[in-house]
Amino acid sequence: MSEDEEYDHPSAWGPHDWHHGAPHNSWSPLIMSIGIGIFLFMLAGAFSNGVYDASYVPMVLVGILVVFCGLIIWWRQDMSFDGHYEPRARGVPFKNIQIRKVAMWIFLMSEMMVFTSLFTTYIRYRTGIENCQTIFERGDWVAQGYTVEAGEAINCFEPASALISTSWFHIAPGAINTFALIISSFTIVQALRYAKMPVGTIEEDVRRKKIYRYLGSTWFLACLFLTLKLIEWFVGFTLPDFLAEFNHGHTHIPSLYEEGYLINAEHYHRHDGSWHDPVTGATMLADIRVSASTFYVTTGTHGFHVALGIIGLTYMTFKAWTGGYTPDNAVSIEYFGLYWHFVDLVWVLVFPFFYLY
Amino acid sequence: MNNKNISRSLVVFTILALAIIIAPAATSFPTGVSGVKDSGCNCHGAIPSDTVTPMIEGLPEIYNYSETYTVTVSFTGGPTDSGNINQGGFNLWISYGTIATLDSTVQSFADNEVGHTEAGNDQTSWMVEWTAPANDKNIKFTLTTNSVNGNAGGGSGSSGDEWSRVSGSISAPVEVIESANPFTVLATLIVVSLVLLIITLTYIFYRTSPDAFDWEQFGPWLAGWVTSTDHKKVGTLYLVSGLFFLGIGGIMALMIRIQLAVPGNDFLTQDQYNQFFTMHGTTMIFLAAMPLINALANWIVPLQIGAPDLALPRLNAMSFWLQPVSAILIFTGIFSGGAADTGWTGYAPYIVSETAHAGTTMWVAGQIMLVASSTLTGINFLTTILVMRAKDMGLMQMPLFTWSIFISNLMLFISIPAFGVGLIEVYLDRVIGTAFYTIDAGGDPLLWSHLFWYFGHPEVYVVIVPAFGVISEVIATSARRTIFGYRSMVYAMAGIGLVSFIVYGHHMFTSGMDPSFRFVMMLTTMLVAVPTGIKIFNWLKTMHGGSLVYRTHTLWALGFLLTFSLGGISGMFFPSIAMDLHLHETYFVVAHFHYVFVGGTVFGIFTALYYWFPKMTGKMLDERLGTLHFLTAFVSYNGLFWPMHRLGVVGMARRHHTYFISGEDVLGALPAEFADWNLFISINAFLFFLSTFILVANIIISLVRGQDAPPDPWGGWSFEWMTDSPPPTPSFPLDNLPVLRDANEHVANEPSKLGTWFNRLMVADEEVSN
Amino acid sequence: MGHTIFGKDVYWMNFAGLMILTIIEVAAVGLDLPNDTTLMILVGIGIPKFIMIAAIFMHLWGDEDSGVLTLTALFPAFFILVMILFVGLTHPEAATGLPEWCRPGTYN
Repeated sequence: MSEDEEYDHPSAWGPHDWHHGAPHNSWSPLIMSIGIGIFLFMLAGAFSNGVYDASYVPMVLVGILVVFCGLIIWWRQDMSFDGHYEPRARGVPFKNIQIRKVAMWIFLMSEMMVFTSLFTTYIRYRTGIENCQTIFERGDWVAQGYTVEAGEAINCFEPASALISTSWFHIAPGAINTFALIISSFTIVQALRYAKMPVGTIEEDVRRKKIYRYLGSTWFLACLFLTLKLIEWFVGFTLPDFLAEFNHGHTHIPSLYEEGYLINAEHYHRHDGSWHDPVTGATMLADIRVSASTFYVTTGTHGFHVALGIIGLTYMTFKAWTGGYTPDNAVSIEYFGLYWHFVDLVWVLVFPFFYLY
Repeated sequence: MNNKNISRSLVVFTILALAIIIAPAATSFPTGVSGVKDSGCNCHGAIPSDTVTPMIEGLPEIYNYSETYTVTVSFTGGPTDSGNINQGGFNLWISYGTIATLDSTVQSFADNEVGHTEAGNDQTSWMVEWTAPANDKNIKFTLTTNSVNGNAGGGSGSSGDEWSRVSGSISAPVEVIESANPFTVLATLIVVSLVLLIITLTYIFYRTSPDAFDWEQFGPWLAGWVTSTDHKKVGTLYLVSGLFFLGIGGIMALMIRIQLAVPGNDFLTQDQYNQFFTMHGTTMIFLAAMPLINALANWIVPLQIGAPDLALPRLNAMSFWLQPVSAILIFTGIFSGGAADTGWTGYAPYIVSETAHAGTTMWVAGQIMLVASSTLTGINFLTTILVMRAKDMGLMQMPLFTWSIFISNLMLFISIPAFGVGLIEVYLDRVIGTAFYTIDAGGDPLLWSHLFWYFGHPEVYVVIVPAFGVISEVIATSARRTIFGYRSMVYAMAGIGLVSFIVYGHHMFTSGMDPSFRFVMMLTTMLVAVPTGIKIFNWLKTMHGGSLVYRTHTLWALGFLLTFSLGGISGMFFPSIAMDLHLHETYFVVAHFHYVFVGGTVFGIFTALYYWFPKMTGKMLDERLGTLHFLTAFVSYNGLFWPMHRLGVVGMARRHHTYFISGEDVLGALPAEFADWNLFISINAFLFFLSTFILVANIIISLVRGQDAPPDPWGGWSFEWMTDSPPPTPSFPLDNLPVLRDANEHVANEPSKLGTWFNRLMVADEEVSN
Repeated sequence: MGHTIFGKDVYWMNFAGLMILTIIEVAAVGLDLPNDTTLMILVGIGIPKFIMIAAIFMHLWGDEDSGVLTLTALFPAFFILVMILFVGLTHPEAATGLPEWCRPGTYN
């Protein structure tokens, strides 16, 4: 690789020789940035103020594709990394801790602020806008004309939990997801454990298998998480007959989409008839766009982090399959694990506040 | 080499792919460049046909003011047949005046644009009325006609239709030379600057290696730059792009000043003015100041702490490359005439409304990428400074510039997620139609203000604190002694960093807030003066004990002290709520933040450029040109911004596209002498802008035939002066790392109580106390 | 990490504990308790879950570098507090919800 000059890396496409600290050129940053730019530009063409234009969708996909091209170059350069050139901190306060570990923790500080901002939005709206159920119970909405019949909607906050926590079956996808994330946190520390075992205490092939199987199951659980999320948001599911009696005789569990819990829900009322006033026969009509936006964007941001995790795990499972994780390089799993546990931590907060309360 | 060929064909392929990707985007810019429906009724095929002859009768060659003309538009030829159900259609656009419809066969699309209605489909000739403008204009018109094959019903899917177009012009009674479209001027200037930049860079490459000027050498050289992850190269890239956008922002400022030079001017319309000050602010802060700071940080921080590179070099390249791409997104609006018009603060609910220009979405998208870039930069610098210092360099032995970068990145890093989340909410509002800031859905526009300023206030300190670091370095070096009160300098910066998060409410005193919250913000904001004052007095005391060497960078640093102190003092008017209500949104605010941004940050960056340029390039800058630059810039800068204080106090409002004067006390008019003051300001703006070219010339002359710089031309003692100029890669010989010679060493030998306590919390380490 | 809890492997014990807490959490919601009680249970369970994941899965407990990394993780606490207090919990209707004495026209 480096006959001409000691610190020369002729190919910016990878793979790299990581055994010294010289600059390693890479096409990846440029390509990824361009991809992100195309994606954001075209997405704004595909949707404009909620109006959809399908002709931009191919370009949105091109944007994503370009980002992936950059990512593949990045991975190609990383494949040869075996942990030998992992510098450690030289001074206080992080003395002797690996640089990337410090970087990961610092990155998590930023992630904490991201989710704090989202939660702040939620807290401000949750406390600032009157709850729909409270308004319904107060009853003056009939006189004010906020009824389905009059077609006038009242602004109020309708937490998604009002739909989700109505029955065990509605909670099911969220609850299974909670368990899926906790299990995946466990599988990834197991992968780390086997990667860390000193050479000699475990057969190398057994190590390789254990690691990629544990990483693979983490990958699977993350995919399960997103699948269930899609079912809960858009698809809904059908119960087997023997469970229907536990659900008031209904076999279909509607998705939030079917329930009309949407970011453009200007005229929303609960489909189970719980906003029905028995005296006048009127049904309350609410404008819940803000509540729905808060719900979808916060849980969506979390889901996006899970999706990023899946992308990372895909690569790591592959690298583990090729035997790339040895005790020297086990820390790489740990760094990804930190991110992954953090995503789990966020879910520990998102789940009660968006799904249960 | 086979590998090389593959790389090259991949590059070509990528460029081709990008061209294919970007080409359709050119037509999908938010609005067309001219706003004219160029393709008329383009559902009738793409190519105009000769067989159709459009005709327009009744328009004069030279119009009379405000006269109304009856215009007949018609066409002949094409597949039109009197037996057809539908026979034709048209679209007429006249650049000035108004077009009125006469009957139901014609409908109006805009004041100056009409077309046929569905009823008008049945004929080949239509009548409208055009009223000429009341003043002199060069008028253009475009008529598009369609000859329809006869398909009945809803218009679309016509087969065999043909259309054609005719254009022409009408002259004014008095011949006029029209003022140029400001956007055309700006767009042209941007393109010209870009071309000049490319020519300059190519010339410098040619001059430094004249024998190697062919594609075989140039291609890899270019690829080496765009793929580089070396902190020095990335730093240079930041520097070039930062200076470029400083120029672009300056051009926009000049056009704003042309508009304001005389009262009642109409060079920029209200709408254009909004876009100009929005883009000016955004460009200057996010595309000029921050990249320039990153340029210095990239170059100097690893050298100062004796690190081989940043901790995560590829992420560093990523944070750079996000910036030009985001700049392209932000500037799409300029080239389409529909740039963001929200102000750099982008207040809700206007920013999510459909009235805000289409370019606003791209402005938001670009900002999201800048947030990502800043986050990556933050991770990188915080990690680098915390973990990669040379052996024995404790935190309290770091040079103050490194400290300032550390503090400012910490502030930026912690605050920018709030902005990012706010932007994503706005982006989603504008794109998929969520309702975070939609008023009638119950959305709360103040939430955006809160999120924005939670980031925005730390942000303004983010751009000034590195300047503090630069000034500390330069004053200490020029005074030939160690900085006075090193420890208090560090604590002052840390204090500014901490306090910056709890003062942001003073931007929102007029937006409606809890009174107790206002009170808290008032007190905390006043508190900011304390650490800042400590810094100013420390600098003065440093000079007092030393003996100054007057170099260009010394002059700039002294200029900084003066202008920044003035800016700081005018800033102290705002925390007082009552005072703020009066001064809010006036030119006093403009004066204040330009005194701190330009007099602080930009002066600081110029100081740093003169100070570290020999280190970066190995060439000395010309001191005479530097002094000339300082003198012209300093004088014109003060002439530019000082009068604005007075304008503001009397009541000239900021962000208004024009103003009116009156000799008497009239509501809404300014005193008569304000016209002169504004002209004075505008002239100084041009002088200040032009003075920067002295710097550019100085840089170019120096790069081409400057003297070679010694490793330590100024007598500095931090690590960057202990390696060659320019530094080799790796910066320091690995077997002979530099040893700390800084006079600040005494600090570590007498650790403070707080420091001792803090050290105990950290990893146990015997070497720290050495 | 060689630690054990009750003689069992620490990851495994932590995992089991988290599963149990989550079951209690879901049950608390399903049981139709009053809203405030639900909230208290959810917060009450959320905190130990949070700590368990951070301390054991993220190695903030028991490793030699845990101390300083815990400090790093806690660093944003102040800023989070500021944001939640100043942005999340300031009165969203301040412009109309101001007390009478500080609205225009009633200064005297």
